[in-house]
Amino acid sequence: MDKSTLLLLAIVLAVFGASVAAGHPAWGTFTGIAIILLAAGLAAGTLPLHSRDYFEERIRPSQRMSNSLITLSSAAIVAIYAAGYHRTSPAAHRFDSQTRQQRTSTTIASVPPPGAAKPGIDATPPVSRSVAPPVKKRPPAPRKAAPGAPSDSQVAPSTPSAQTRYKDGVYLGWGSCPHGDIEASVLIQGGKIVSTAISQCLTRYSCSWIAPRTPGGGFPDLPGQVVERQSPKVDYVSGATESSYAFSDAVAAALSKATE
Amino acid sequence: MHSLMQSPQRCPKRLSDDVVRTVALMGTFVTIHVVGPEDGPRRPMQREEAIERAFEWFNRVEECCTRFEARSEVMQLANHVGVPVRVSTILYEAVQFALAVAEESEGAFDPTVGYAMETRGFNREHRTGKTIRTPLDSSISVSYRDVRLDADRRTITLLRPLILDLGAVAKGLAVDLAARELRPFKNFAIDAGGDLYLGGCNPDGQPWSIGIRHPRNNHELIDSLRLSDRAVCTSGDYERRSAQESGHHILDPRTGSSANAVVSVTVIAPNAMLADALATAAFVLGPAEGMQLFDRLAVDGLIISPGLERYATRGMREYH
Repeated sequence: MDKSTLLLLAIVLAVFGASVAAGHPAWGTFTGIAIILLAAGLAAGTLPLHSRDYFEERIRPSQRMSNSLITLSSAAIVAIYAAGYHRTSPAAHRFDSQTRQQRTSTTIASVPPPGAAKPGIDATPPVSRSVAPPVKKRPPAPRKAAPGAPSDSQVAPSTPSAQTRYKDGVYLGWGSCPHGDIEASVLIQGGKIVSTAISQCLTRYSCSWIAPRTPGGGFPDLPGQVVERQSPKVDYVSGATESSYAFSDAVAAALSKATE
Repeated sequence: MHSLMQSPQRCPKRLSDDVVRTVALMGTFVTIHVVGPEDGPRRPMQREEAIERAFEWFNRVEECCTRFEARSEVMQLANHVGVPVRVSTILYEAVQFALAVAEESEGAFDPTVGYAMETRGFNREHRTGKTIRTPLDSSISVSYRDVRLDADRRTITLLRPLILDLGAVAKGLAVDLAARELRPFKNFAIDAGGDLYLGGCNPDGQPWSIGIRHPRNNHELIDSLRLSDRAVCTSGDYERRSAQESGHHILDPRTGSSANAVVSVTVIAPNAMLADALATAAFVLGPAEGMQLFDRLAVDGLIISPGLERYATRGMREYH
């Protein structure tokens, strides 16, 4: 719609309004008809244009299904998000309890590494911090020492499998390097390492340096896989050799707990 | 020991403002990484809250869609065969999308494989370790055509006794909802064990660099991609092997056994739900039909055959 059309519409509307206000119904009728004509003109001018675009978009064969699946998935996400589910209680409660659980494990795990004590964070009883994030990267605290022999901690093991190598559960272990400490968590299911991840990153740099998000399983699921983080193909890793070793150590520490 | 004060030149200072959090959710580890904000005192707090809400979505989606919990919404459907059941928006949208993908892939992707999965040993709840056993008549063969939707009433009707497996949809959906929650922060990454969404740029101000694991040598990457505002999902036969048998987690719905035409499929798409579903579909279809599917849907993908041959869409070059 161009400016002159808008202007015309505005004038007609003004006349219409004025005439109604002044009590001249004849003028009102006239301008009413004018508005209808204008609307019809606009519809004739603009609508076919839009529908033609729409039509062209729809009929391209290679795009047709793509449009519908992409549209459908995007619409689904919007619909669910708009429904605002997360603000209702059950999920929040479950999340809280899980957070508490994680919090407890973090607290346990945080005790061993010397110098890792962070007043007001891990020292606080878990229950009172039920909404606190379970694992949070803190600004690196200056530390006196971070010995190479890391401690580790075991959290919530489930049924151990007799014939397999590792006991099921989530295990935590610490690793150190000159840049700081890294805590790795290792998830064992069915006696096998299902997944590993950094649960606490207390290094001077973001642990993203050693954590390219590989679609095949996130973090390396074996300590040796840290090697792959140094692939020149993944810039994330370059320059983080020592942190990578720290992560490797942390995984090894966690696994040693899983074999006990 | 070094301290923060001695931060070397090579690391941009804002790295220290990044938030990286990992939580065990949906049978995997979910990592959310939000790249540090530019400035502003209020933003860090908002960021924490947004990350909290992003993680919540995983619980919410799992509550509705998990096959491993008899009381979950999706499992309740099996108790009402032949009757329209009004469901939550999450479940309705997830099922509607899964059925659309089933239609598009002509059954190579089929959410009604739930029972077949369960009987093949994929029946263990990751948190409690409890296994589930649903009493169903296993002699009846089912397909996605046995599920009816009513958009107006938001109901799902199962025409036959069956279990819906939304494994290839729910995790991606949760990632997408989390991504939407984090959208105001622009630069972030969400990794949910194979399903990723990469928002904006990494801490270096570059597109995120994503390694794709080598399907046979887990010390290597078979490829690496540069992604921004895209989801990527890799399905591999090395993930989640069944407890009972040698099979992996992707069943060919048409034969009922593990698909073995390919060993790894990676899909790049605008959202993770689509990427995951199409990766699963292509896994069953095999390289030739899988590539056709990608071309038809205008998504990009990489398929690795058992002989480690690579099949990639032309558009994959854009991500290197």
